[in-house]
Amino acid sequence: MNQALQNLKHSAIDWRMVLMAGVLVVITVIFNVLSEGIFFSAENLYNIAQQTAVVGILATVMVLIIVARHIDLSVGSVMGFVGVLIAFLMYTANWSWPAACLAGLAAAIAVALYQGALTAYVGVPSFVVTLGGLMSFRGAAYLVADGKTQPLTDAFFLKLGGGFNGGIGTTASWVLGVLISVGIIGSMLSKRAAKQRYDVPTNPFGLDLLLALIPVALVLGFVAVMNAYQIPGKDDAQGIPIPVLIWGAVAMFMSFLVHRTRFGRYVFAMGGNPDAAALVGIPVKRVTMLLFLLLAVLTTIAAIVAISRLNAGTNSLGNSLELLVIAATVIGGTALAGGSGTIIGSVLGALIMQCIDSGMLLLDVSIGTRYVIIGQVLIAAVVFDVAYRKWTGDVL
Amino acid sequence: MNTETHNAEAAAKRAKADPNKCLVELRNIKKAFGGVHAVDDVSLNLYPGEVVAVLGHNGAGKSTLMKMLAGAYPIDSGDVVINGEKTHIRTPADAQAVGIESIYQTLALADNLDSVANLFLGRELLTKWNTLDDHRMDAAGRKVFQRLNKNFKNYHTPVRRLSGGQRQVVAISRAIYFNAQILIMDEPTAALGPEETAMVAKLIEQLKAEGVGIFLISHDMHDVFALSDRLAVMKNGKLVGTYATKDVTEDEVLGMIILGKKPDGKQQTERSAR
Repeated sequence: MNQALQNLKHSAIDWRMVLMAGVLVVITVIFNVLSEGIFFSAENLYNIAQQTAVVGILATVMVLIIVARHIDLSVGSVMGFVGVLIAFLMYTANWSWPAACLAGLAAAIAVALYQGALTAYVGVPSFVVTLGGLMSFRGAAYLVADGKTQPLTDAFFLKLGGGFNGGIGTTASWVLGVLISVGIIGSMLSKRAAKQRYDVPTNPFGLDLLLALIPVALVLGFVAVMNAYQIPGKDDAQGIPIPVLIWGAVAMFMSFLVHRTRFGRYVFAMGGNPDAAALVGIPVKRVTMLLFLLLAVLTTIAAIVAISRLNAGTNSLGNSLELLVIAATVIGGTALAGGSGTIIGSVLGALIMQCIDSGMLLLDVSIGTRYVIIGQVLIAAVVFDVAYRKWTGDVL
Repeated sequence: MNTETHNAEAAAKRAKADPNKCLVELRNIKKAFGGVHAVDDVSLNLYPGEVVAVLGHNGAGKSTLMKMLAGAYPIDSGDVVINGEKTHIRTPADAQAVGIESIYQTLALADNLDSVANLFLGRELLTKWNTLDDHRMDAAGRKVFQRLNKNFKNYHTPVRRLSGGQRQVVAISRAIYFNAQILIMDEPTAALGPEETAMVAKLIEQLKAEGVGIFLISHDMHDVFALSDRLAVMKNGKLVGTYATKDVTEDEVLGMIILGKKPDGKQQTERSAR
């Protein structure tokens, strides 16, 4: 028994993630009971999944920004600015959607170069730089189209935001689900093989298998639910919504950056001990700059998803989104002091927040009450974070 | 960077190192912060296989001098000559490239990363796809840590949870693994218990035998007299004098540190007797 406990302790299980997943399950079950089964309907889960995508995409990169001891308060405004710009180029200037999106990306990169250079090279705290950006780029979002809403009609482009034709269909969803499952098992096996090759001790095979089967079950379960939602009057069920697909791809890419590249390691080292990072020769300024550029790319992707979900670009796009993104990141276990945080945590954090919000909406809770509660959830998450770190001895 | 060739090169360099050829020559080094001369016209040598203790009060300039050699601070004026070649050290990477490794008083470790990640921080081993080669780093890390301390087992816990001695093992492992030719140790035993201090002392002996030159910054007179071959005393940014450790007494050294007074009738020395 004791040996089994030791194995569990030393295995790669992140107990904090397990706890958070537990919290998510409890919350959703409560809402399901209170809403008499509506919460767990395929339609509701489909909507929650695609509504969370924009916040979720941005939260994955906010994790790294906060880990590196920075913050970005301007992310909602910049997304609004880029979104309106793309919509404006498509609607008013008649550009094709790829050209408009590239122009949007260029604008986001210009913003990142400006804000990143101020932070990394001039040494202005990112809090100040992006607080200014929060206002300036909201203004810029207004200036682009003189405050006029820019409607979008391109059929392909509108799929990117989900909605009526925004699912990939049942067959493609199952194929994708199975491919991802095979990938998860395969990576587990290859990791074990590599460890054995270097004579590094491995977990018992059963434990590794169990740890791989949990995400596999989650992926296949998700596909099954998405395939169960059929909009009345359509021939096929929706399948995985494209925004969720984009979010998933972004989260996987970001996890890859964190775990497998120097860039990811340096971001964490800078957050853990900035002096040490500089003393061992990490190019701190360049890494900070790259971090802002990465943010620019993901902001553009989020902007594209957001305007296509809305079928339009408006100057209020992404209003106070920065708060939701930071809240999702923090609820997901990223320490505001820097140095610790996970991508998968941000995914859970975004889902927890969206589930609470949607659940209350289903129960007809007034908007005032919803804000009050979500604010307190954020505080509860930080209190939990502090308590958890004390308990494990990881006081930062 | 390919670390195998890097290691081989460093080892070859060290093997070639002529014990009579100066490893480091600091010539007329100056550094000012604002109007304060932190280091004022200091010259100091280091030969292969010797330990030179650098002494002085807090603020005497010893840490600043060593940080310039390590590339952490830019040098205002003066020359650094490594192995007879004038070298420009502007960044920590420049220093590492000529075989200078530092172990800092504050232990320059990223507390949130594990021991293996800290060992390779800034010089990670990569796969052919330029991704981190965790398994290779893991295996190599285990070897180095085992060599320094047989009881070391916490490869994958964040270093903030390690004891002072274990953290020191991680810091020193950086110098060992990358085959330092010149080692700067800033108060290496300050946070350690007696057993761990003995481990560091043993390690210094071992590195000396391998021809590594060591600058040792320490306040601990016992360490200085036990470990160093020569000692250089600084006061107010200036060098008071450089003596063979066996030629001077503890009182004379304290006199130099506190009063800046050269001991009467003692000969300064540019290098240790063989």
